[in-house]
Amino acid sequence: MTMDATLAGHLQELRRGTVVVASLTVLRTPGYGYSLLETLSRAGFEVEANTLYPLLRRLEAQGLLTSEWNTDETRPRKFYRTTEQGEALAETLRGEWARLNTAIGDLSDERLDAAIGDLSTGTTLGSEK
Amino acid sequence: MTNLVDRYVFTALRRIPEQQRADIDRELRASIEDAVDARVEAGESREAAVETTLTELGDPERLADRYAGRPAYLIGPELFPVWRRLLKILLWTVLPIVVTVGVVVQIFEDPNIGKIIGGAVSGLITVGAHLCFWVTLVFAIAERTNTPVKVNWSLKDLPRYEAQRAGLGQMLTGVVWVVLLIAALVLQQFTFTDVPLLDPANWSFWWPVMIALFVLRAFYYVWVYRLGATTRTVAVVNAVLTVAWAAPLVWLLASDRFFNPAFQGFLDLDGGNARGWMNTGLIALVVVGAAWDIIDTALRAERTRRGLPGKVPGTGGSYDFS
Repeated sequence: MTMDATLAGHLQELRRGTVVVASLTVLRTPGYGYSLLETLSRAGFEVEANTLYPLLRRLEAQGLLTSEWNTDETRPRKFYRTTEQGEALAETLRGEWARLNTAIGDLSDERLDAAIGDLSTGTTLGSEK
Repeated sequence: MTNLVDRYVFTALRRIPEQQRADIDRELRASIEDAVDARVEAGESREAAVETTLTELGDPERLADRYAGRPAYLIGPELFPVWRRLLKILLWTVLPIVVTVGVVVQIFEDPNIGKIIGGAVSGLITVGAHLCFWVTLVFAIAERTNTPVKVNWSLKDLPRYEAQRAGLGQMLTGVVWVVLLIAALVLQQFTFTDVPLLDPANWSFWWPVMIALFVLRAFYYVWVYRLGATTRTVAVVNAVLTVAWAAPLVWLLASDRFFNPAFQGFLDLDGGNARGWMNTGLIALVVVGAAWDIIDTALRAERTRRGLPGKVPGTGGSYDFS
């Protein structure tokens, strides 16, 4: 496996699930499939139509989204909106995301602190000799 | 004439449950048209926009699987280890039993060496394929119906790996083999074939000696089990017993006194010289088998004496435990 393929695999693992949080967040104002796809890709979420459209229906089946056909315009579109339940779930997920972000930040800091600690101990030992 | 979008939507939706079809049809078409319009606005021709949009949506059957929430695999990671373990057990137990029974039945019905080998091979393939197919089918259905196939693993399931311990299984296998060999030797005289396969002249001396040696062998297995370890004495007794049956057998084969000269079953092959080939082949088999057994037991005894670790089974002998 090349390095690029390894990276792509890990990135995919990391991004899995972010589309759900993003969709539930965006759809607090009602939107239809293609509009959401556009919004997400503008916001930097790499999501494909063939993943997003079935996902919307699944979230609806889980009661996190509700839908309504809008036939006012020439092209009838199915508009999705985040339910209360969906908003609560999204809130929890966003909280978890923030927690993980902090935790990873702390880990990096700890390693830095540990490295500095080693360095200073090393210096002390060195000066004792 | 149907256009590309129609063809795409029809292909995707024919594999969607009927009650969802109308709604998804409408929504999917609207989404496709939205994407096409956006591309046309960006300056593409309508035709090119449709082609790109549908190509990006990808394989319609995959899209249908995603809409219907169907798994895109036969057996998922939860069930796979259970499936593999079960299939392995079945292929190692049921398959040999069925094939052996088939061979025995064939020997009773029509003891033709060609038919026996042919039956064994075709039985191996047919029964093997059936086992694989049905087990896989059941697991694939369980996967799709979300049947909880839960095999609780616990620490008790770990093998013990007691070094050099001669197990109960080993003893039973040995004794069963001895019983089968004696039964085969006695029964071939009376039942399997019209004319006995092995030379009846040997009943005056060598066949009873062989049976006596087999019985001794059974006692040997019991003795080793009760001893619980492969000691040096065990290695010596094993060597003596092995030579005791292998040497006369080789002599009988080499002097063409093993097979019954009146048995005509071999004449079907190679113009009657088949008996000669069988003799040579069996001599090689007996010599190699006996040498292997003697050396293997001696090595194990040596390892026990030095208190060296044994081998973890199933690793090709490169992985020790102590």
